[in-house]
Amino acid sequence: MAAREWNPLDYDVEEGEEEEETPSPSALSSPLPYFDRDRHVAFLEMMYNLMPYHYQSQEINRLTLAFFTISGLHLLQALDRVDKERVADWVLSFQAHPRSKAELNNGQFYGFHGSRTSQLPPDENGVSAHNFGHLASTYCALAILKNVGFNLSTIDKESILISMRNLQQPDGSFMPVHIGAETDLRFVYCAAAICFMLEDWRGMDREKAKEYILNCQSYDGGFGLTPGLESHGGGTYCAVASLRLMGYIEDDLLSKNASSSVVNVPLLLDWCMQRQAADGGFQGRANKPSDTCYAFWIGAVLRILGGYKFIDKVALHRFLLTCQSEFGGFSKYPGTLPDIYHSYYGYTAFSLLEEPGLNPLCAELGMTDLAALGII
Amino acid sequence: MDSDEGDREPLSRRAEWSDVIPLPQDDGPNPVVSIAYKEDFRETMDYFRAIYQADERSPRALCLTREAILANPGNYTVWHFRRLVLQALNADLYKELDFLQQIANSNAKNYQLWHHRRWVIERLGADARAKELELNKEILSRDTKNYHAWSHRQWVLQALGGWEDELDYCHCLLEQDVFNNSTWNQRYFVITRSPFLGGLKAMRESEVRYTVKAILAQPNNESPWRYLRGLYKDDIEALVDDPQVSSVCLKVMNTKSNYIFALIMLLDLLCNGFQPSQEFRDAVDALWTSDTHPLDSDLAKAICYILEHVDSLRAGYWMWRKSKLPQAA
Repeated sequence: MAAREWNPLDYDVEEGEEEEETPSPSALSSPLPYFDRDRHVAFLEMMYNLMPYHYQSQEINRLTLAFFTISGLHLLQALDRVDKERVADWVLSFQAHPRSKAELNNGQFYGFHGSRTSQLPPDENGVSAHNFGHLASTYCALAILKNVGFNLSTIDKESILISMRNLQQPDGSFMPVHIGAETDLRFVYCAAAICFMLEDWRGMDREKAKEYILNCQSYDGGFGLTPGLESHGGGTYCAVASLRLMGYIEDDLLSKNASSSVVNVPLLLDWCMQRQAADGGFQGRANKPSDTCYAFWIGAVLRILGGYKFIDKVALHRFLLTCQSEFGGFSKYPGTLPDIYHSYYGYTAFSLLEEPGLNPLCAELGMTDLAALGII
Repeated sequence: MDSDEGDREPLSRRAEWSDVIPLPQDDGPNPVVSIAYKEDFRETMDYFRAIYQADERSPRALCLTREAILANPGNYTVWHFRRLVLQALNADLYKELDFLQQIANSNAKNYQLWHHRRWVIERLGADARAKELELNKEILSRDTKNYHAWSHRQWVLQALGGWEDELDYCHCLLEQDVFNNSTWNQRYFVITRSPFLGGLKAMRESEVRYTVKAILAQPNNESPWRYLRGLYKDDIEALVDDPQVSSVCLKVMNTKSNYIFALIMLLDLLCNGFQPSQEFRDAVDALWTSDTHPLDSDLAKAICYILEHVDSLRAGYWMWRKSKLPQAA
């Protein structure tokens, strides 16, 4: 397991766990010939109630884990398994609040904490000394709230948006948390998605963000996570979805005059098309093995561009089924154990393939159309 | 992580921690996606919270952050606190680098580790450059496509320099694995950004020769084809006019095997105004053996048609490309 894929939500896909190194005999048994929705619902319900200890190293990303679980249940048309009010209350409890309006310009970000580790109990005056609001967690929090039908106009969006500007760098990129962290396309995407969901673009300088994104387009047409880095499925998704959310590219670009676009569309399309490998799956980079999650990262880009119709859907379907676990969920590669990250992107991939029994996907937000539109 | 468990003395039984009251995680009423923590994880984080709440920047706090990081390498709060402690103790940052190297080599890859490493190197400055590039090679030698490691390497080169040997390094890695797209990307990074090489245009001639050789050795390798095209970024006319580019397409087609990328490149040339000689027409015709369906007289259309059949996974794409071709003059 030398290869570890990139992922957008700052979520580290666990490696080196002994179970993953050696697939169990049952994980290697012949795959089911169909998408087994009921098992996937059972898998996510289990995660909703109690995640196994393997996820403890992801504790800092609790909201991301919750997003995969709840949005996954919604994709599977099983949102009835979720107590929506309870979920909304729980998510809202992670929001960081400034003591006063003046604090919004102190350099910190008043979004959502990723977990309880970064959110210490308030002191005797009711004041929390530490603020670790994080862009990925904030994206996940708002996405979950949309999934449970919570009306986002009731939250204090002013604090989120005004303080979010503190995180944008002079080159247009975003840092995810004010204490300092890597800056790259992932957090440009999170920022764009946050503004889009809050229907308010005061949180970022869109022109600067666009410039940064264009600097990330590589010589081969794909996008790297930072300018100069290798083209990558995840980076390409963040770039294209952000441009779409910010209104710089139209939907179904290929049916229109692509030559006037801000990015090199023919080269981008060609790069994306070459990512479908001989086994039917999608790879994240040239000459790398196919991996479940890129069926979403690349597939969603193609959907936004209007090129999804060109892929070999039968071959992709076949590949994805080899990654379906008999316990429910999806694994990264055929024959390995499932995890919540690859399961979620497996479901989104099947939604793009229009599998019966799944809700349609809003490609640029990475959640169901219904949640994106607020129809719950 | 689990293998250490047997040896681990619980913090509650360690004398040096006897004065600390652990601070348990308050998950609030009705949590969802609770995690079934193992006892040692729970204890480590409970003590971490206590120390963090008390803002205790001490040697034992530094040790505790190490344990918390090993259990939880993505936890940016722990990493952040470790930096505060390192600064307060004026700790030896070369020792810190050893610690980071140990984690990187044990495969615990994550963004926080690399961000922390950058913080350390920024403080050590140019003195650390040569060592850092070597340590980075050690990590890449275990996984030559490690995206984090390449990202860090690019940052070191840009922030501290060390470009002089980088093209040779790329050459070595390509000798080992010419299919490694990360290395091709790094090569592009070097020829376009190294202050010693004069930029893309100055490097183009020698790079085209290098790339053509790599293509002829493995014509089914997507990476050098893309690189070749990248050498003419924003200068498509030069791509069309360079006989080395069209001739490598011809050479590969004439072998009648592994010619898909050659056809794709030739298609791009034609779409951008390349005027093919009869040789090209003959080479394309020779790839099509069906008597029942003669090839289109328009060469670009003929290529799309062949691609529909030999690259059937993308048949829909090639059909669409065919429908979008500029009308033949």
